[in-house]
Amino acid sequence: MKNSIRIAWLYPDLMSTYGDRGNVIVLQKRCQWRGIQADIVPVTLETKLSVLESCDLIFMGGAQDRQQKLAGEDFLKRKGPVVKKMVDQGIPALFVCAAYQFVGHYYKPYKGEKISGAGIFDLTTEHPGDQAKRLIGNVSAEIVYPDALAGTIIVGFENHGGRTHLGPKLKPLAKVIKGNGNNGSDGWEGAVYKNAIGSYFHGPLLPKNPAIADWLIQRALEMKYHKHIALTSVDDLLAIQAQSAIHRRLGI
Amino acid sequence: MSLPNELIVRDNVGMGTLDRLVVIFTKFISLLSTMLGLGAGETWPGEIALRLRPSITSVLVHKLPDGVILVAGTNGKTTTSLMVKTILEHIGDTVVHNATGANLLNGIVSSFIRNADWLGRVRADVGIFEIDENSLPVILRYVSPKRIILLNLFRDQLDRYGEVDVIVEKWIRALSKLPKDTVYILNGDDPGIAFIGAGVKGNIIYFGLQDTSKYLGLREHATDSTFCPWCGHRLTYDGVYYSHIGVWRCGTCGHRRPAPSVYKWPSTLPGLYNQYNTLAAVALAKSLQLSDTVIKKSLHSFTPAFGRQEEILAGGKTIKLFLSKNPAGFNASLRTVLEMGAQEFLIVLNDRIPDGRDVSWIWDVDFETIPDTATVLVSGDRAYDMALRMKYALVPDKKVTGKTPEPRVFPLLWDALTYAQTLRTDKPMYILATYSAMLDVRKILKGRKIL
Repeated sequence: MKNSIRIAWLYPDLMSTYGDRGNVIVLQKRCQWRGIQADIVPVTLETKLSVLESCDLIFMGGAQDRQQKLAGEDFLKRKGPVVKKMVDQGIPALFVCAAYQFVGHYYKPYKGEKISGAGIFDLTTEHPGDQAKRLIGNVSAEIVYPDALAGTIIVGFENHGGRTHLGPKLKPLAKVIKGNGNNGSDGWEGAVYKNAIGSYFHGPLLPKNPAIADWLIQRALEMKYHKHIALTSVDDLLAIQAQSAIHRRLGI
Repeated sequence: MSLPNELIVRDNVGMGTLDRLVVIFTKFISLLSTMLGLGAGETWPGEIALRLRPSITSVLVHKLPDGVILVAGTNGKTTTSLMVKTILEHIGDTVVHNATGANLLNGIVSSFIRNADWLGRVRADVGIFEIDENSLPVILRYVSPKRIILLNLFRDQLDRYGEVDVIVEKWIRALSKLPKDTVYILNGDDPGIAFIGAGVKGNIIYFGLQDTSKYLGLREHATDSTFCPWCGHRLTYDGVYYSHIGVWRCGTCGHRRPAPSVYKWPSTLPGLYNQYNTLAAVALAKSLQLSDTVIKKSLHSFTPAFGRQEEILAGGKTIKLFLSKNPAGFNASLRTVLEMGAQEFLIVLNDRIPDGRDVSWIWDVDFETIPDTATVLVSGDRAYDMALRMKYALVPDKKVTGKTPEPRVFPLLWDALTYAQTLRTDKPMYILATYSAMLDVRKILKGRKIL
């Protein structure tokens, strides 16, 4: 029987501002190239929670402020608790940029009240003030967790004002080689909790870092079929060349 | 650039003469630089003039008897302002117009310096200035335009321009300080622009399309503002023309696409986006009480700006060049060239300052619409990113054994253009390129006779 997974794409109409759609394309194509059926399940404001619960992998991306507010309210009240339950059970997930901030405890803007997050990840984000520099630019890092990916070099483009700090229950995804990462000061980028990954990397993240995509797909299949699954290899020469181009740009 | 102290003219000395001296001086060094082969400069003569005389912009602008027309928006500024310029020149106006890409204050002042005579006098009747998203509020501090065209707002270079919603807010704040008799020519099919129209005081003229046969079947993915700018709820579209441009309404608060007063005009250029550019220029002409006959006549032989659907013959090969600088623009170009039957593509992706340094947006472009049978070449500073995008778009779902239809990657643009000319297929090569990439293509194909 053909293996299959269902990929929940949270708020595709509200939270896919920075080419994050590429992450979903990569997850789906890399499944299909291997003969694994992969269905994209858009999960937005009106979508029933049972539809979300039927998924094997979760993706949520960045957003503009206005859209972020709409999605944020819905996520906090409705989808967030379900996502938390799924992530706690080991369902793999990828949260990028705004979504990465959403899954933490709170986001504190430079003016106004703290905005509560879904509390899925043990992290907090604060905006240090109007005059503080946004962290913008090409970035490179070396994965430290999950163990299966440790040592893998990842690249991306970061563009965020908020500074994220990880709590004790959370492991960082990667050590920054060049760029800023979570907050520009402690040297870490992203976070890992069970089979869920959070990251500030656009680019988008998965096309140039296919190892993360494959890890998510593998974990999704293993959770679904309760057995070890080895993925067949895919020709990733172009991803390697695209990575090298960034490294040349960064002078590494 | 820093200037020696003795060159800085004190601002409190008599006005007219000093302004003229500054214009003559900068005009002179601009000429000198042209003679030395350094280029006349589309921004730096103005930059020097501004340093010498910070108040010079308003002084120059006041010399224009017919005032200033500003053209702003993400896509279509250059084509639209060239159309307006063509119409106004046809009726005998002398026009001062900033060069493409010189969209800041220094570009505007430079265009005056170019236009001025050797006595430092402005010779133009009217100014047409294309302005980019961030500089509109800055320019409005110095220039009080009689007419403003707002074309559209798409996601473009988030690392530079910021988010669309933020730009809308900044524009409204800046525009609401203008006199109440300002004429606004607005694209009502763009909800964000219509929202701006509701937030400013002036004489508002909406343009838009009224043609259900042009509705898109499937939604494209580069959507910025499908949510109501008034109440934040999801908008319903009777039909989408492209991206978020269409006949929209909000089921919650009742706001809807304002009925356009200018909605039909034969476009001289292919592509839906050029219909909008044409409608904008025509709406402006109509606001000047020009007759349809005059407008038609003046636009009859309109030729597009360089790099916009430009046709170049290189080594016997027909090349059609389409500037494509953001998801909405790229999708629009792609749709147009596919309608033109394109079979050979060269996509050139750069990530220099004018292109935007973040290339993530290529994943919001529907490259999946390119047919399997097409020949696809990629090049540019970020050729491998582009190749990767094309691979995910074009390699079919099932595992492919043997040869896969991956794009051909040319890290050097020169090689890509040379290869393109060896394709003896009688079919044109369609080049879709980001801004600096488009300039590079032209430089290789037209500037130097190297091919």
